[in-house]
Amino acid sequence: MRLAAVDYLIIALYFAFVLGIGWLIRKRVASSEDFLTSSRSVPLWITSLAFIAANMGAQEMIGMCASGAKYGMMTAHFYWVGAIPAMIFVGVFMMPFYYGSRARSVPEYLRLRFDEKTRTFNAVTFAAMTVFSSGISMYALGRLFQLVLGWSFTSSVLLSAGIVLAYTYLGGLTSAMYNEVLQFFLIVLGFTPLAILAVHRAGGWEGISSRLPDMMTHSWAYTHSPSANAMGVEVFGLVMGLGFVLSFGYWCTDFLVVQRAMAANSMTAARNTPLVAAFPKMLIPFIVIVPGIAAMALMQMNVGYALPPKGSAYDYDLTLTTLMASFYPSGLLGVGLTALMASFMSGMAGNVTALNTVWTYDIYQGHIRKGAPDSHYLMVGRLTTIVGTGLSIATAYLAQLYNNIMDLLQLVFGFVNAPLFATFLLGMFWKRATGHGAFGGLVAGTAAAALTHGLTLAEGKGAWIARLHEFPSTMAQNFWIAIVAWTTCFLVTIVVSLLTRPRPESELVNLVYGITRLPPPEPQARWYQRPGVLAVVVGVACVLLNVWFG
Amino acid sequence: MWDLRLPSGLFFTLLGLILCATGLVGPAHHAPLTQANVNLYAGAGMLAFGGVMLWLGLRRS
Repeated sequence: MRLAAVDYLIIALYFAFVLGIGWLIRKRVASSEDFLTSSRSVPLWITSLAFIAANMGAQEMIGMCASGAKYGMMTAHFYWVGAIPAMIFVGVFMMPFYYGSRARSVPEYLRLRFDEKTRTFNAVTFAAMTVFSSGISMYALGRLFQLVLGWSFTSSVLLSAGIVLAYTYLGGLTSAMYNEVLQFFLIVLGFTPLAILAVHRAGGWEGISSRLPDMMTHSWAYTHSPSANAMGVEVFGLVMGLGFVLSFGYWCTDFLVVQRAMAANSMTAARNTPLVAAFPKMLIPFIVIVPGIAAMALMQMNVGYALPPKGSAYDYDLTLTTLMASFYPSGLLGVGLTALMASFMSGMAGNVTALNTVWTYDIYQGHIRKGAPDSHYLMVGRLTTIVGTGLSIATAYLAQLYNNIMDLLQLVFGFVNAPLFATFLLGMFWKRATGHGAFGGLVAGTAAAALTHGLTLAEGKGAWIARLHEFPSTMAQNFWIAIVAWTTCFLVTIVVSLLTRPRPESELVNLVYGITRLPPPEPQARWYQRPGVLAVVVGVACVLLNVWFG
Repeated sequence: MWDLRLPSGLFFTLLGLILCATGLVGPAHHAPLTQANVNLYAGAGMLAFGGVMLWLGLRRS
């Protein structure tokens, strides 16, 4: 793939705008809260688009398109099962406590609700995971650009990381979120023509269905047994593992996304953030997964499109870029590549800003230096931006040792995020849950995840302790690791809580359901701005999509 | 507080102009798998989006 001058012009224009936004926003940063939490001042349309953009990292776009080519429409489960229900839940039921408790971060909510050790456990694992996933994302981008453009790994990694560092350093969370909105628009406008062109060339949805095995165009029809579909998963593992544990663990407790909603300028806006975000989120499969499916149909048509082979199959990770090279002339090609860079940047900025807040407030202010003047924490927040970016770059180089990005990411989710949702569920909805219970549950859940991975084998992975069971795919293994971790955490938290002394109810106001008076919507909110109404509309639309493509 | 619609409107307007110009200058130049003047159509789309954003932002201020 060769770029023309116009492509470089477009990339440069984009870089100028992101840096310019950071430069303009820098004046709004006067305190550590401005830098780390946007001082709860961001309007709904920005928080909601930033909410999904922060999750749309480069590995998401590349990986979902690859997965579309490999598994077909079943990939949509990562959206219609693995995201939307959890986004509804966090907006309707959990945001009143995150926002109402006035916690500055998700770990800080855990300190208010439980105790210091639970907060610290969550903060430390979260910080590690954040650096890790931002490094993985950077690696994905560097490797891809090396492969398709011939750019050196080091220069593409340093250039894009340097730009994210610059605008995050200047304007903190606000700058990151404003840029995420610009990135979101660019991703959608840059990838939509590709979807239209690829599907059109492959003869529309009917042309695609007629050229591919039936499994490729259905999301539910082949999930009755793991041997019936290429993913090797069945309904229970899919719904419980992905749809419940992993999805709720991510969308409801991961500070990377929750932080965006917590920056909203009112309680209603905070609750509506994930609900409004759900509308574009459920349409993303049409611009990333469907082109991947179309690519497989194009290969059957002998029109000159082919994925490069890899082993006995294809190098699916190149689906997105080979499609761009086939359908985008110079000019739009520059836009497509800029969109890919934008997705990388939005994902990385999400990680960096979440890490800043957790490090500064939960680890540094919590343990290293309490009671310093606010300007000190602002400086620490800024320095964390630099150190965090440096650690991510180091991780990117380490990640060159690994191959499959999605699997690795999911493995880490399984270890860290899966038990967390049990802790939050009990913490927010069961006043009897105690700090010792939460901490014991989290440690036991994480250990159970690691143990399950050590005792089971899938595609040659895991079973480093003994081999008790074999899964048909690593995806099935990950879903089941998550289920085991969640269940262990849930049960251990209950048992330990019942054995330890509960906190008085007066200390749990604004933290637990049943003790807290849920806020009524602001009087000026119209009917369509009510979280309940939005949740029903989103839910119905999501069910319809599942039925339509089932 | 400034409005994000202005800079993003400006960005997509400029992007649309660049793409339209590229499409008009070299209409015969197309990607391997399509005959369409993709740059022109996508450019028009971006120009429209950028224009709407600018209009919304300017109307407010």
